[in-house]
Amino acid sequence: MKKVRTWKKITLALGFVAAALMLSLSAHAASHGKVIVFHAGSLTVPFAKMEKIFESKYPGTDILREAGGSTKMARMISELNKPADIMASADYAVIDKSLIPAKAQWNVRFATNQLVLCYTDRSRFAGEINAQNWYDILGREGVVWGHSDPNLDPCGYRSLMVLQLAEKHYDKPGLYDRLIANRPKENIRPKSVELVSLLKTGNMDYAWEYLSVAVQHDLKYVVLPDEINLGNYRQDDFYKEAKVKVTGKKPGTWITRTGGSVTYGITMVKEAPNPDGALAFLEYVLSPDGGLKILKEMGQPPFVPCRVPTQEMKSMLPASLQKLVEVKN
Amino acid sequence: MTGARRKKKLDPFRSLTVFSTSVILIFILLPLVEMVLQPSLDSLQETIQDKDVLRAIWLSVYASGLAALISFIFGTPFAFLLARKTFFGKRFVESVVDLPVMIPHPVVGIAILSLAGREHWLGKVMQAVGVRVMGSVTGIVAVLLFVGLPFYINAAKAGFEAIPERLEKVSRSLGASMTGTFLRITFPLAWRSMLAGMIMCTARAISEFGAIVIVAYHPMTAPVMIYERFTAYGMKYSQPVAVWLIFVSLLLFLFLRLVSLPKRARHDSR
Repeated sequence: MKKVRTWKKITLALGFVAAALMLSLSAHAASHGKVIVFHAGSLTVPFAKMEKIFESKYPGTDILREAGGSTKMARMISELNKPADIMASADYAVIDKSLIPAKAQWNVRFATNQLVLCYTDRSRFAGEINAQNWYDILGREGVVWGHSDPNLDPCGYRSLMVLQLAEKHYDKPGLYDRLIANRPKENIRPKSVELVSLLKTGNMDYAWEYLSVAVQHDLKYVVLPDEINLGNYRQDDFYKEAKVKVTGKKPGTWITRTGGSVTYGITMVKEAPNPDGALAFLEYVLSPDGGLKILKEMGQPPFVPCRVPTQEMKSMLPASLQKLVEVKN
Repeated sequence: MTGARRKKKLDPFRSLTVFSTSVILIFILLPLVEMVLQPSLDSLQETIQDKDVLRAIWLSVYASGLAALISFIFGTPFAFLLARKTFFGKRFVESVVDLPVMIPHPVVGIAILSLAGREHWLGKVMQAVGVRVMGSVTGIVAVLLFVGLPFYINAAKAGFEAIPERLEKVSRSLGASMTGTFLRITFPLAWRSMLAGMIMCTARAISEFGAIVIVAYHPMTAPVMIYERFTAYGMKYSQPVAVWLIFVSLLLFLFLRLVSLPKRARHDSR
């Protein structure tokens, strides 16, 4: 009797193991069609919508998104060799500097944005703040304001650039240092979209964010003049005067980021695990009635059509993407 | 020498024990050894001389120790109650104590952050009084306390349960107060379990990451710094910090465990 019971237990155990193995194997079979997309935190809401629509059009594909500060995401590809098919950055310069030529060949500029100062009803002095007095309010004692980490996220160094440009534009020498003195390190977060939850829970009064993110998350915001909001390419000559030092590839090394109008870039990573899937998704993202339309609806003005700076770069694009871009610097 | 030769029989139970012991030890040690041996001695020296790294490790140890201390102060009476009394809903209360263990760590951080913001009445009160949770050591200790409490309470409770209530009753019948009984009878018998509970609580707190990173990115604890360095610079710059954290934690726990060895074991360790 005892022997039969032991055998029953053994067969049961083996049965479980077999079932587990079969489940994992079948999961493997369905994994054909994964597309890994690294993208800026500020693209989360539009890309989530694009993912849904694309997956419903192509049921065999699974878009796997990972969001973060664009600098950080690019380093994960270039330094940590994390597998990815597509990289979409809030600053096209990040792709140019970190990914080309070792990890990418081309860089398509597909959208713009501008920086705004976000807040909620709960923020201190919310009733008072406007485009004329925002820099006074940020300097007041007790006001908790922040931005993302300039070393990991373009929105971080862009926020600092806005402050530098404001000092020049409003002719208030020392404004930048005064404001930074009122922004302790604790108010910095690695990814700009994290600031949104701090605003909404009432842990922060003001945060620097992209206009599209403010719109997507129903935040109140102060619109700044074109001269300082990094949103108008015609002001590029003035934007250039802002310079921010950020950490380089190794601790102790530094890179200087120069101000320019906010331009988002996208590329396919060299040796992508799923180039066909990646190409299909890119065709969708960069098409005027596909991804670009979604960006526009969500408060982020796209380039229609998208741009590449030189004819040479255009010829490096896959054929199906070439008809979606124009050459314009 | 017994004289009689035992038949050499392969005992399946013994083999299974030896096998599972080795597998588990290898499973635990392999990644750790790999990680400890990977950084060069130069990078280890460079890292320990970095002020930011020292600050981060110290913050981890200090905040975890503080959380363990608070667990001890508030958890001891609670654990004693659970060990000695039966009441309606006791099972439910015991499950509540275990809840923090299974809540996903980011959820803990989000919950505490929501409570502390001005959008919540509690947060309004705290901020009016000047208590800052976001980005502060207070917030970090609050999170660590949340995740570490179950470990202390359960260990202390088990320690109290192992002491026969009879001894306490005798003490009371001889005229000692409840407090006197606790300090002179219960505590001397239970302190090792309580210390073991505090060690577990500290260990759990030192390794916490997901909840802390939501509440406070700065000031940086060691796990947050390891993650930040990994994503910003790569493994080469994050592993030395991890090695030093492991080393410091090992020393700390080794010391505490030695202190809590029963006198007999310390003297006849033959």
